[in-house]
Amino acid sequence: MAVVAPPPVGHGDGHAITQTHADVTRDVVATLSAPSRGYVLLLLGSAAVFLMGLLTFLILVIDGLGHAGYQPPIFWSVYITTFVFWVGIGHAGTLISAILFLFRSPWRTAVYRSTEVMTVFAVMTAALFPIIHIGRQWIFYWLLPYPNQRYLWPNFKSPLIWDVFAISTYFTVSATFLVFGLVPDVAAVRDKVTGWRKTVYGLASVGWQGTDNQWRHYSRAYLYLAALATPLVLSVHSVVSWDFAVSIVPGWHGTIFAPYFVAGAIYSGIGMVLTLIIPLRRALRIEHMITPEYHFDNLAKLTLLTGSILFYAYGMEYFVAWYSGNMFEQTTFYRRAFGPYWWAGWTMIICNAFVSQLLWFRKVRTNLTALFIISIFINVGMWFERFVIIVSSLSNDYVPWAWDQLNPSWADWGILAGSFGWFGMWFLLFAKTFPIVAIQEIKEMIPMPRKRGGHH
Amino acid sequence: MADETTASTLDRRKFLTVLGATTGGGALALSGCSTGKVEKLVPYLVQSEDQIPGLATWYASTCTECSTGCGVHVRTREGRPVKLEGNPEHPVNRGKLCSRGQAALQGLYNPGRVKGPMARNPDGSFQAITWDDAIARLAAKLGEAGSRVAVISGAGRGTFSDLLGDWTAALGGRLVRHETFDREPERAANRQVFGSDQLPLYDLGKARYIVSFGADFLDTWGAPLEQARGFAAAHGFEGGQVAKLVYAAPRMDLTGLNADQWLPIKPGSEAALALAMAQVLVSERGGQPAGLAGALAAYTPALAAEETGVPAATIERLAREFAAARPSLALAGGVAAQHAGATEVCAAVNILNFVAGNIGETVRFGAELPAADGHAALAGLARSMNAGEVGVVLVHDANPVYTQPRATGFADAFRKVGYKVSTSLYLDETAALCDLLLPQHHALERWDDLRPRAGVYSLMQPVLEPVFDTLPAGDILLRVSQKAGGALARFNAPSYEAHLKSRWQALAGELGESDFAAFWHGALQRGGVYREPPAAGAVSLALENAQASYTRPALGGEGEFTFLTYPHPMLYDGRGANKPWLLEIADPVTKISWHSWVEVGPGAARRLDVRDGEILELSTPQGTVEAPVFVYPGIRDDVVAMPLGLGHTAYGAFAEGRGVNPLDLLAAPSGEYVPYLSTRVAVRKTGRYRKLASVAGVARQLGRGIAESIPLAAAQKGLTVEQAYIEAGLGHHEVNTERELEAVHGWAEEQHEATQYGNYEGENPQWAMAIDLAKCTGCNACVTACYAENNIPTVGEEQVLKGREMTWLRIERYWEGGEEPGEPVSARFVPMLCQHCANAPCEPVCPVYAAYHTPDGLNGQVYNRCVGTRYCANNCPYKVRYFNWYKYNERAWPAPLHLQLNPDVTVRARGVMEKCTFCIQRIRGAQNQARLEDRPIRDGEFTTACAQACPSDCIVFGNVRDPSSRVARLAQNPRGYRVLEDLNVRPAITYLAKVLLPAEA
Amino acid sequence: MRTLAIVLGGAGGLAILLAFGDPGPEAQQTAAVPDSIAAPVISDTGALQGPRQPLFFRHDIHAGQFKIQCQYCHYSVAVSPEPGIPSMQTCMGCHLVIAGSDSASRTEIRKLRQAWTEKKPIEWVRVHFVPRHAHFPHQRHVKAMGPNACATCHGDVARMPQVFKVNNVTNMGFCITCHVERNVSRDCSVCHY
Repeated sequence: MAVVAPPPVGHGDGHAITQTHADVTRDVVATLSAPSRGYVLLLLGSAAVFLMGLLTFLILVIDGLGHAGYQPPIFWSVYITTFVFWVGIGHAGTLISAILFLFRSPWRTAVYRSTEVMTVFAVMTAALFPIIHIGRQWIFYWLLPYPNQRYLWPNFKSPLIWDVFAISTYFTVSATFLVFGLVPDVAAVRDKVTGWRKTVYGLASVGWQGTDNQWRHYSRAYLYLAALATPLVLSVHSVVSWDFAVSIVPGWHGTIFAPYFVAGAIYSGIGMVLTLIIPLRRALRIEHMITPEYHFDNLAKLTLLTGSILFYAYGMEYFVAWYSGNMFEQTTFYRRAFGPYWWAGWTMIICNAFVSQLLWFRKVRTNLTALFIISIFINVGMWFERFVIIVSSLSNDYVPWAWDQLNPSWADWGILAGSFGWFGMWFLLFAKTFPIVAIQEIKEMIPMPRKRGGHH
Repeated sequence: MADETTASTLDRRKFLTVLGATTGGGALALSGCSTGKVEKLVPYLVQSEDQIPGLATWYASTCTECSTGCGVHVRTREGRPVKLEGNPEHPVNRGKLCSRGQAALQGLYNPGRVKGPMARNPDGSFQAITWDDAIARLAAKLGEAGSRVAVISGAGRGTFSDLLGDWTAALGGRLVRHETFDREPERAANRQVFGSDQLPLYDLGKARYIVSFGADFLDTWGAPLEQARGFAAAHGFEGGQVAKLVYAAPRMDLTGLNADQWLPIKPGSEAALALAMAQVLVSERGGQPAGLAGALAAYTPALAAEETGVPAATIERLAREFAAARPSLALAGGVAAQHAGATEVCAAVNILNFVAGNIGETVRFGAELPAADGHAALAGLARSMNAGEVGVVLVHDANPVYTQPRATGFADAFRKVGYKVSTSLYLDETAALCDLLLPQHHALERWDDLRPRAGVYSLMQPVLEPVFDTLPAGDILLRVSQKAGGALARFNAPSYEAHLKSRWQALAGELGESDFAAFWHGALQRGGVYREPPAAGAVSLALENAQASYTRPALGGEGEFTFLTYPHPMLYDGRGANKPWLLEIADPVTKISWHSWVEVGPGAARRLDVRDGEILELSTPQGTVEAPVFVYPGIRDDVVAMPLGLGHTAYGAFAEGRGVNPLDLLAAPSGEYVPYLSTRVAVRKTGRYRKLASVAGVARQLGRGIAESIPLAAAQKGLTVEQAYIEAGLGHHEVNTERELEAVHGWAEEQHEATQYGNYEGENPQWAMAIDLAKCTGCNACVTACYAENNIPTVGEEQVLKGREMTWLRIERYWEGGEEPGEPVSARFVPMLCQHCANAPCEPVCPVYAAYHTPDGLNGQVYNRCVGTRYCANNCPYKVRYFNWYKYNERAWPAPLHLQLNPDVTVRARGVMEKCTFCIQRIRGAQNQARLEDRPIRDGEFTTACAQACPSDCIVFGNVRDPSSRVARLAQNPRGYRVLEDLNVRPAITYLAKVLLPAEA
Repeated sequence: MRTLAIVLGGAGGLAILLAFGDPGPEAQQTAAVPDSIAAPVISDTGALQGPRQPLFFRHDIHAGQFKIQCQYCHYSVAVSPEPGIPSMQTCMGCHLVIAGSDSASRTEIRKLRQAWTEKKPIEWVRVHFVPRHAHFPHQRHVKAMGPNACATCHGDVARMPQVFKVNNVTNMGFCITCHVERNVSRDCSVCHY
């Protein structure tokens, strides 16, 4: 007769052992306890890597973009690749936290906070690249529309301008969403801690008392915010895809791009979620809150879905190139598979299209080791997907005389690594400062203690 | 930000201070007050005697980069030459100028110039001295040496060389005129066959059929600009005719790549071919002229086929075609005139021309071209140097230590001379061995003249303050004479300028000019005096000694390959190697820049299993060099070739230690000339590899219709390229339907109307260009002109390796055929620059409107607005946009090279995109002038730098909206097409398809 | 010889100007010539606006009081993008004969003559300039705006003892405002190339 749709939070063995609200709060707040040595090392490590990237950037500013491996006709390479990569990462977060919320899909609760955090920081990382990759970084603000006596405005026809708006909107909304969702949890923490931390969390919890009134307004507002964030999952990466789709470069100029990119974005996003959560749940000792049988299985299914969409998209790209009879498209796609960049082309197809198919098997879906390895493949594969689309297409467009290939240089890798350092730094700091698992939503899922009769 | 764009933008103002500091010339020129040296110059085309700040002043002068003697116009701004262009009145080059000539500017401002007189210390270092001191030292040494004096000079002929001759004679010394690529074999052959050792002029314009035996007449042989002009007239489909060019040589040079048929004959077998052709002609005329019939009898096509590897049938057909086309023309030069049998080759070609009746028609004697003394003279001098018979040697306009094969031991002989003096502007290999450096003025800094040929007296005048503490060579001689006295005392002109004037007074007399002032004034304005060349000197066949002969030239050395070295199209004999333009602008044939290479045929490459960039070691008994392979379809598989010009041990920072010098492989020549094809080489793979600094991506068109062609018959019928394809049964382009076209064009117009910058359909001009591929020879003159006009930075070898060269205008060279062994290979040249599309893909993607469309149809690029997203470059189908990856503006022009910069053009800073602007500074200049005079711009009133320079006039620029303009008419030419037309970007450049002669059976 | 000619020409030209108060017709179209103003005696040059020049040349005396047209010295302004800085010769053309009325002017003129004899052109401090990536053709503006051309950007120089910047001509806003008002081209590539 027990008709509780989701199983109560439980340990790996799947048997529901009831847990009181108090336990949850205790466990979650425990994650904020003094950092372990491993944590500190990790944090310092990412900070160091970030500084390295910063140094590289300074050299680019002082001396010029020439240090990067750019080789005309390839005028965009690793930086734009990494930009698209990070924007993509963000999407899974919004999907899980907003869309799945609207769909009342209960399994999200344990993971959504971490994915949301990932989103915000991923977008923060991505937002750096439009600045890094331009030739005169110190005047990037010319891309913003601001009144000036020179009668000069940005060109709203340019997809790069659309980008600026897409990214900034995305950051604003997802950040608001995250902060808003945090309030009750911060309050919960506030009630558990003492001393100066109490004051800090007190301020952060903006006077949350958990009264019915507050809850009523809160949940309504949260709903609206979710509704607001949802369309962004589709719009943002569509706009990013148009950075390429509106051009006339063979291999970029495709109507399939928007959905193709969105699917890819979510695919890569979930990949990153897996990569982050699997170690995190152990590190924070919350294995019982995020379980393979339930949460990871669902994440994996989502991966399988989006991965299969990608598989289809890849196939469709080649089909269209062949079917269009367009000489230039055909050359581009032939060389994508058999040209100088064959290795990148095949990396992308294997890592994304093929590897994701393993997830048809539940054994794989619920095996954390397998999932972790697959998630790494996904991250690599999706980075290479963008690399192939950008570099391989540019390396052979219309005039054969201009064709050439590039080798990324230390400056490319420096910035790429730095972006991971930057991301990791923020993520780690957050994990120790705020509840990485949403306290109040988990509590909502714990069945109210009620009288049970019949067996004694 | 904006300032960064132009942090180092050198504009007129900045120049003034710079120049004020450097020479004072600029500042003084601006303040209108002259220093006495420049006040008497007569500006060309400008009324005012003073420079007008902000406007260019033109002076007429003469190019001295080679001994051809072309006329130039020097564009100066604020007393500072900024560009060299051809002098339209000059009969030799008719307003055109080659890359080497234009680069004289970089010789003038070269950082490697000797800054003043210097003497060698005992410890071998040089020490700056005063001119008085220097003159005194030389005078003293001359006193000691008495008649044991030798002078080595270039071949240029004029007042100075006369003076030098008299001067040397007065000392009782000997004068050797040295040219690296002297034409002794031709002169010997002429002496032998026609009894005159004169060099004739060749009138390619009249020729209806041309056979070139290794003569690179479009680039490095004879008077290239004049010949290119003639070739364009004969071969450029003017009047619907195309004179066939057959090129017979083991390797194709630029002329070969422009030939309609290449006969890859065995090295050294040219004579056999020429004689066989003559033999066929004579025998088919029933053995007339009788004298020759006998002499030629032995040389049957069969024998020639045996010797050359060309089928006898082909030879006979060739001979008949050659005879049928009147007049025709056979040329021998380059490699054909550079092996043991060279004199025979030239004699054979003379006979062929004579038999075909070309003498006096296309071969015109009596031009009195200047000639060097041949190698024997220099070898003789070297011997006496070794014997210690030379006390003082003076080297002027020559660098024999570099240009003589090491095996000759010239350098060692030279070292033995007691006192060695050089007037070189640069510290070249010869100067580096000298004891006294007396740097002379650059040609643009001094008074002088040249007599390039009969009837042409070409003047030079100083157009700026001397950049360094130098003297005109003439003044050096005169001052030394006064110091030394004695036999030299009679050289007592107050200055060389005065001496020159006195000579011209005499000339005025000879030419029957009474009013010398007017004569001189006119000569200065026109750059010289040009009289009708004397009627073709009648030469007759000296039958008795015209014994036609052919012997297979013997080759020294061991190894499976015949070795061939040739003048580098940009660096020539190495004199260009200190000029960044010539180093960076890729060789028109191989498209390699900055370093040496060795050409290996495709078959040989397969045999050796080598690929591009693999480093080969070539060795002969004389020496060994290493260079990377370039697999070249235009060379026989039993020959390897290397260009001359690199491997300098001195000659300034740009040249030193760059590449290798193939002369190290040659044996010491025995005869009158240096045979550059004389030895076999052993080839060894080193297993090492280097990336070629090549500007070529994929050199095949892949059926993309970039460099289109049309069969002669179709062109004569007036078919379009498309129709021609369809007629040939090849459906080529998909023709858009009317509706499609209207739709997209309408859309494009709306786009334009939408922008606030004004009316795109109104009365504004629409600037456009037409490029005739039937005339383009791929010679690079336009590219160099573009570099000069638009302040394009040279980025250096390591950047070229990254494909980052900034050639706004590049010449793409595509191979046709030659994919299977035996299939004939040919080349297509297509100048590729910004197409200024009416519907440009680069414009909408720029987020800041740095790339946008101007009302007058230009594809604008606003450097100071550009933030450097580079999307425009990604989206440009022609890939003609170039990005400043580094601060090239701070590296490319080490002082005083920056003085060459054109003040009308912004120098682009790091981080911005740049590209061809259709020379917008010239457009605006013309518009400003027209506005002052309240008139519209006239067609042809100005043109772009590339169009101005093009020797074959294949580029035409103008307002396509003016139906009477040349470009508007060319845009309607049936041969016209637009590259990648199907993309509907609507380029403003119309290409005219190359006209192909029917392929041989 | 040539110098002498210029001297005479210069002095003569000036003499004529002084003799007939109002400027000739060509002056009318070419430059703004205010009614004769008596240039003030400057006691404290430090108090003047604008950069201090190596030689205290007073436009208010030359252009104001004596009504010498701008183009007499800035000789190429109507034909060239560059206005032309007067040559030392131009100055000496008059100042060989004119030594100055009061001690102040005499000292400055002495500086001038000394510079002339030493053949050292005086290095003026630049007051107006447009960024180097902007091309400003003076001749077209003079042609288009006629009499008031100079004053439009440079202000009433004829009343300035020491020239100072009236308008921020370095700033594109100044150019574009004027171009919008007069409805002339706003095409970027008219100035930027």
